[in-house]
Amino acid sequence: MKQLASTMGVALAFACMATAGAQAADVPGVTDTEIKVGTFGPLTGPVYIYGKLTMNGVEVYFNKLNEKGGIHGRKLVLVREDDLCKPEGAIAAVKKLIYEDKVFAIIGGGCSNSTLAARPEIEKAGVPFHVFAAVADGIVDPPAANIYTTQLTATIESHAQIQWALDRGAKKLAIVSQHDAWGRSRYEPMLQDLKRRGLQVVADEEVTVDQNDGTAQALRLKSSGADAVMLLGYPKAAAVLIRDSIKIGYKPIWIGQTAIQDLPALQGLIGIDGSLANFVSITTIPGHPDNPQYAEWRKLLKNTFPNDELSVFNLMGIAAAEVFGKVVDAAGKELTREKFLAAYNTIDNFKSSIYPGPITCKGQHKCNQSPAFVKLDNNNVVFAGTVVLK
Amino acid sequence: MLMFSYLMATGITTGAFYGLVALGIVIVYKATEVVNLAHGELFMVGGMLAYTCYVIEGLPYVPSLLLAVAGAFVVGIITERVAYRSVLKHGLASVLVATIGVSFILKGIARYVWGGKGDYLSFPPLVSPEPLQFGNIMIMAQQLVVLVAALVVMAGLALFFKRTRAGKWMQATASNPKAALLCGLRIDRIYMYTFAVGAAVAGAAGVLMAPLTLLYPDVGFVLFIKGLAAAVLGGITSVPGAVVGGLLLGVIEQLAAGYVHSSVQDVVPFLVIMFALTFLPTGLFGVRGLRKI
Repeated sequence: MKQLASTMGVALAFACMATAGAQAADVPGVTDTEIKVGTFGPLTGPVYIYGKLTMNGVEVYFNKLNEKGGIHGRKLVLVREDDLCKPEGAIAAVKKLIYEDKVFAIIGGGCSNSTLAARPEIEKAGVPFHVFAAVADGIVDPPAANIYTTQLTATIESHAQIQWALDRGAKKLAIVSQHDAWGRSRYEPMLQDLKRRGLQVVADEEVTVDQNDGTAQALRLKSSGADAVMLLGYPKAAAVLIRDSIKIGYKPIWIGQTAIQDLPALQGLIGIDGSLANFVSITTIPGHPDNPQYAEWRKLLKNTFPNDELSVFNLMGIAAAEVFGKVVDAAGKELTREKFLAAYNTIDNFKSSIYPGPITCKGQHKCNQSPAFVKLDNNNVVFAGTVVLK
Repeated sequence: MLMFSYLMATGITTGAFYGLVALGIVIVYKATEVVNLAHGELFMVGGMLAYTCYVIEGLPYVPSLLLAVAGAFVVGIITERVAYRSVLKHGLASVLVATIGVSFILKGIARYVWGGKGDYLSFPPLVSPEPLQFGNIMIMAQQLVVLVAALVVMAGLALFFKRTRAGKWMQATASNPKAALLCGLRIDRIYMYTFAVGAAVAGAAGVLMAPLTLLYPDVGFVLFIKGLAAAVLGGITSVPGAVVGGLLLGVIEQLAAGYVHSSVQDVVPFLVIMFALTFLPTGLFGVRGLRKI
């Protein structure tokens, strides 16, 4: 009898192991010991920072989880693909991740235009996709069952920029924008929101990513009498414009967005002390990467990527990976894509260690709806306030 | 009137940038009849090397500048070996493609070495970053430094080509390589030094302009296009033409952006190239003859 019980116990244990093995084998990218997670974005090319550095941040967070034994005993393995920030590159990258690498989920999307182009393929495949940097609304709007973002979207940011200007009593608004795909994803919602409010801008100027001089734009802004300028540009364009505005003695309220949220770096690019006295920016990260609150991440980043200095892009990756890890954990040990996607509904007012506001994916796919603003005060990045979107 | 004064002053100082870039293009073209499409990246390499010496290693400015120029000189020699000498037998088209290859390789190396430190690297200016007042307008002091440097480099190169044996050898080789060879000139070596001198000028330009253009692996491309437009307008074989072309391009660009709209600013170089090739095929200072671009 004792021998029979022992034999049955062993048989039962084998049966359980076989079932667990079968469960893991059925789910792409999931084994008993690891979860294969794909990522795509620019690793090379002019805007590699939005991909490579953000991915480095994700990997740092995954490493931290893995050192503690992973999630439910499974380690997270990141598989990178370079999309060169190009639509065709992103489509090829997600196809490779989904059909060749057979990843469980994707956390990525460095550039808006290329991520938008990849959306149909991701949606068709049903692979869970967590956006970590791209801001175009079309990636999550209209919602797709398998796509969530923890990045602020372009529309939310553009509306917040206008609201900030109006809350400060600005009467004459101006826009300076890049007219590439990234810029237009912000510029058009901004124009729509201004129209909805019955407002018109007094100047609508263009800059390019590689702008080396902004005197003409600054002169046109000054002659328009604009008292608040909403900047839809990358750091170099913003730095050049602000520098040349100072040169001609033009000092409006400058309102930036998340592409220029690293204020000490922006001031360094301008090269003039006090140049950001009238400048605020929307932020994903409510402090400078050099702040003591990020000391742990600086150390962990150096351990894995000795050549990197902790940047906003690293922190964006870490922040997205933190929420992603939370969802994996909430999905439970018997991990499936369905359970993982359902687990996004458990993310409700989640206090991230990096994002300034709460993250809520429950009932919505744009999980980050809290545009906070920062400014520079005595070379320290400080919280400047927030807005209530009207 | 104030706006016009600002646009003219900025056009001239910005134009000096373009002229300095154009000078390097002209030097190589003058001797080899090849437009080095990696020229913008040589500019970037100069800036990055100076950044390493001056900002990271803390060396004084002048040694940093000299090391950066020397580094660019060496990269110029390598460019000549890889993208010119070894592929010339396959025709000029192959050389152009090879220089594009060098451009991508240099950008890739720059991303590997200097990437991961943020998106743009800022280089401290040689002079005060505060603007200086001239009459009723303000100008960035660093822009004046570039303007003066462009004029000095131009004068130096003009003297080099007119007064030195090496300069004359380069001109002789450019004019008739076979005759130069028959006269005993080692034209392979002259081509190599031509590429190296062009690269050194690009490196110097990179260091001088870095505080204004900022540094990143792709900084060279736009400046190369503008430098090429300036060189074509000036006559592509003329050293003074490169500087005058640069100044004209800078002024046209600023006036168009100021009085038409800021969106036309980046279109101007392409319009200038098309205009020059159509209506001024020898440029403002070029000589009539076969042109291969």
